[in-house]
Amino acid sequence: MAERTRSIWIDDRVPGREAEVLRREAAGAERRERGMRTIVAAWQILLLGALLAGWWGASGRIVDRLFLSDPVSIARAFWRMVVDGSLWFHLRYTLTETLLGYVLGASSGLLAAVGTWLVPGAAPALRPLVLLAYATPKIALAPLIILWFGIGIFPKVILAATFVFFVVYLNTMAGLGTVSGGLVNVVRVMGATPAAVFRKVVLPNAMPFVVAGLRMTIPAALIGAIVAEFISSNRGVGYLINAASSRYRTADVFAGIFGLLILVIGMNAGVSALERWWLPWVPRERSPLG
Amino acid sequence: MLEARGVYKVFVARGRAGRRVMTALRDVNLGVRPGEFLTLVGPSGCGKSTVLNLFAGLTAASDGAVLHDGRPIRGINIRGGYVTQDDNLLPWRTTLANAEIALELKRVPRGERRDKALAYLERVGLKGFEHHYPHELSGGMRKRVSIVRTLVDESVNVILMDEPFGPLDAQTRLVLQDELLQLWQGSGRTIVFVTHDLVEAIALSDRIAIFTRAPGTIKEIREVPIPRPRDVFHIHEAPGFADIYDPLWNDLRAEITRGPEPSVG
Repeated sequence: MAERTRSIWIDDRVPGREAEVLRREAAGAERRERGMRTIVAAWQILLLGALLAGWWGASGRIVDRLFLSDPVSIARAFWRMVVDGSLWFHLRYTLTETLLGYVLGASSGLLAAVGTWLVPGAAPALRPLVLLAYATPKIALAPLIILWFGIGIFPKVILAATFVFFVVYLNTMAGLGTVSGGLVNVVRVMGATPAAVFRKVVLPNAMPFVVAGLRMTIPAALIGAIVAEFISSNRGVGYLINAASSRYRTADVFAGIFGLLILVIGMNAGVSALERWWLPWVPRERSPLG
Repeated sequence: MLEARGVYKVFVARGRAGRRVMTALRDVNLGVRPGEFLTLVGPSGCGKSTVLNLFAGLTAASDGAVLHDGRPIRGINIRGGYVTQDDNLLPWRTTLANAEIALELKRVPRGERRDKALAYLERVGLKGFEHHYPHELSGGMRKRVSIVRTLVDESVNVILMDEPFGPLDAQTRLVLQDELLQLWQGSGRTIVFVTHDLVEAIALSDRIAIFTRAPGTIKEIREVPIPRPRDVFHIHEAPGFADIYDPLWNDLRAEITRGPEPSVG
């Protein structure tokens, strides 16, 4: 028989004094935790509320509504675009570009890094080229990419991919380099072929770096797609924002931005799910992005 | 000096299936005498390190009293020095800068702290390595720096050492035990030392406290009858060594092989 106290079990063979200490400490921990949760929730509500209230208060008083709009008008504009389907129409286009660019950039970055790592001497041979490519502001390539690939979906995908490629490439390279010699030697003596060493030790060891790269590049892929849409497009959220802004429809601009925000948060949740599935062995600290 | 009176320490963890509680220390009573070298030995997870953390003020007792010179320890006990198993040197500081840090934090003037640190570094044979970074030193040298940086602060009258020589090889370990005794003898300081190694405990200590398996409590406190100064390199040949080793091992063996405690969950 054991005694149930709130959420803890105390074996009844535990002497009375000790049981009392246990019960007191458990109750204290519960109280502190609940207190902290309440404080955190209060701050979250307060900060978001302050942002909205500040925006609401500033709009029309401190800053012309033309430039700032206000939360209510934005919510209305957002809802109107949801109902008439225009938001989904544009969002779908941008989402497609972003996802295609992201997958293309990430997979080619990963494969290029693996290739570089596997070929002896490839890393130093490629270093100047990688440095040049890394140093190039990818955004400056946008007009060129449109010149080369036209105005369809393709140039947007390419630009999004360039934003993703280098980060994933460099992160993967860094991750592949962190494998410990001891780990490799242990499996080699067990009879692992070089291919097996790579597949079973080097690559899994690099995965946390790869996933970190994947996480960092979600907003980057979106930037690529949006910039390309700004330059030349007749659809997509970039086009929507650009068009609304040139007509001084600030609420529509913010509604478009809000749409993008939902997109990034959704993709981030996707990568988090991927991480839980791929990397259950990584001790998980809570990342700043949840 | 240091004292634990009826101390309980309970940990509350949040597992997948809700909150769990665990007793780490059960009714620990221990008085550390001024100037003595006291060693705590016991099976893994028995709470020896928790006792040191209580003395260092890094954690608070769940019940009972923990005192330093008769006053309850509240918050961090800055009159205690703390030497951990890992050397925990700051990688971005040189040997000298690492040795000075305690004095720097207590706002001792630059010249004075430099002189003190250099004097101690010389005593442990680190002259010539003042401007090396930790990664440029051997494990034994890093351990010397970590001991020096604790001793250098004279406001510290008790040194808490948590298996400080655990990660070292057997020879380096002996050399460092010898150096520690030399540094300690005549310094008037108190040392509370945690180890798994009975021979180490005998070589170093005046008294040895044996813990039971978790939840830990003190099973027995034994005096080490070997006179000082001691030769740590031939300690097993010292008269009286077997008289203390055998009963210690019997105490400890019972704790390692005993059946499970009533569990708390």
